[in-house]
Amino acid sequence: MFTHTPLRLATLALLAAAALTYAAVAGFFGLEILAEIAILAILVIALDLVAGFGGMVSLCHGALLGVGAYAFTVAANDAGLTALPAMILAIALSTALAFVIGAVCARSTGIYFIMATLAFGQMAYSFVFQSPLYGGDDGLSGAPRPDLSALGIDLTDSRAFALYALLLVALAYAVAAATLRSGLGRSLVGLHHNEKRLRALGLTVWRAKATAFAISGALAGLAGCLAAQHTQYVSPGLLSWTVSGEALVVVILGGLGTLVGPILGAVLFVILKHEISALTPYWHAIVGLILIAVVMSRANGVFGFLETRLAARKPQPQVKEAKADA
Amino acid sequence: MLETRSLSKSFGPIQVTRNVSLKLEKGERRVILGPNGAGKTTLFNQLVGELRPDSGTIHLDGADVTALRVADRARRGLSRSYQKNTLFDGLTIAENLGLAAAVALGKGQGLWSDPLQSAEVRETVRDVAAQVDLAPHLDARVDAVSYGIRRQLEVGIALATRPKVILMDEPTSGVGPEMSKGFHRLLKALPRDLTILIIEHDMDLAFDVADTITVLNYGEVVFDGLPEAARGSSLLKDIYLGAWEDA
Ligand SMILES: Nc1ncnc2c1ncn2[C@@H]1O[C@H](COP(=O)(O)OP(=O)(O)OP(=O)(O)O)[C@@H](O)[C@H]1O
Ligand SMILES: [Mg+2]
Repeated sequence: MFTHTPLRLATLALLAAAALTYAAVAGFFGLEILAEIAILAILVIALDLVAGFGGMVSLCHGALLGVGAYAFTVAANDAGLTALPAMILAIALSTALAFVIGAVCARSTGIYFIMATLAFGQMAYSFVFQSPLYGGDDGLSGAPRPDLSALGIDLTDSRAFALYALLLVALAYAVAAATLRSGLGRSLVGLHHNEKRLRALGLTVWRAKATAFAISGALAGLAGCLAAQHTQYVSPGLLSWTVSGEALVVVILGGLGTLVGPILGAVLFVILKHEISALTPYWHAIVGLILIAVVMSRANGVFGFLETRLAARKPQPQVKEAKADA
Repeated sequence: MLETRSLSKSFGPIQVTRNVSLKLEKGERRVILGPNGAGKTTLFNQLVGELRPDSGTIHLDGADVTALRVADRARRGLSRSYQKNTLFDGLTIAENLGLAAAVALGKGQGLWSDPLQSAEVRETVRDVAAQVDLAPHLDARVDAVSYGIRRQLEVGIALATRPKVILMDEPTSGVGPEMSKGFHRLLKALPRDLTILIIEHDMDLAFDVADTITVLNYGEVVFDGLPEAARGSSLLKDIYLGAWEDA
């Protein structure tokens, strides 16, 4: 079950302090990277919620992000909504879509679940890509940033925007953590361990899965809105399954089912990407090697490694008798 | 409380449940005996809805539940434990019981509070832990406790739903005779109005807790009556001395 261990709280505090400090001192490129990290962090929080805790490994989170980004852009450009209502609309759409995907895929598990989500993701991708309304390959530009001038905040300024992005990461984290501590979150973890027993206990399994997926979809949609506001341009590439795959890599790199780990993973991933791609165009290969090393180490990602290291230093509770499950 | 009328089920050519009619009154403790492969577990699977019978009906507390799904029957107060442990392995014993209680109380989909912290769930966890002797182990993870304790948790999870009817599939299978006897003491201490259907291999222990006995053989009810009558039945001796011996 999800808990805030001292290590997790400390890591969160450290990440927050580092991000805020960096936001205060960084130049333009640093602030752009910070916003990029924030967008990825929200996406991986969304993914870890269902994949890490619920065992529902999804390859459609890129599509959910993309749907949020496009819906936001279209709502603002064509329907003339201001940024806030456009965001609400876009997130509502991602949420609804995720609920449907979750409900349909609820019956399947493991590799079949992954494939079913992939199929949904590809459908969304080709819909956006083919439709003449959404600019096809060229994408759409002109997504606005929220107007917070009433509060004396100018989000066209990259420092202000980075801080705003960090605030949304904190919001996404709070939503995910609250979900995990709710009845639904407890059931979600239970489903991961033993779906059959939970059904026998009286849980309507499909609804629990679909609701959890919908909350995750809402967060992915939020990441999409932020992505659209950041670059003020959306392209079908946002919905590509490779975005989902990358998010999954980041979650595994950081530590499945730890919520903090994937945020750490997002930080490492974006920094690595920028540092290594400056040195060699083969940065994907390097990241691949790192991922292989992490997986082979049998630790649950970078954060899981820290957790087991720290636990090993404490005296272990005595394991009572030998296991003898028939 | 729980009643089946001519329940039948086949797997291909093999009929594993033949015209089974059973009736349990409220508070009755009925033990099902029968050799390996007699169809005892298959009967349970049909009672809780994990398996559809080919024909026949199942009534729970007066209502026909034959067409209801597993979760719906559970919500009406039917609960079961499994012959092979079916636990939430990565969680603690308290979390296992708490999750079961939370789901049974309809808090399994809630968004606004933590059911594990609710007074109702905590009270259930405490009570059930006392009922199946798990109190000293509440904070231990399931994969860190002995098989016998996991076996007790298996029944504890079923009890945590506060059922009206509980089905236990060989709750003491694989544990030693001492622990087995201890478990039967716990069983006898359960509230008297709880209706219990229990599959048990050990005849002596079975007679120890049973109000009534059903004997299944090749999917068929070959005996239904009081323990004293079962003890004297030559039929039971035949099965017991025959196929049963190698059980
Ligand atoms: N899903 C299934 N498909 C085909 N045959 C099955 C299935 N489940 C059970 N059987 C068969 O039905 C018969 C009854 O099995 P069941 O598990 O109900 O016996 P049991 O009385 O519980 O035995 P035991 O004492 O060994 O637990 C067995 O021959 C078994 O092989
Ligand atoms: Mg059996």
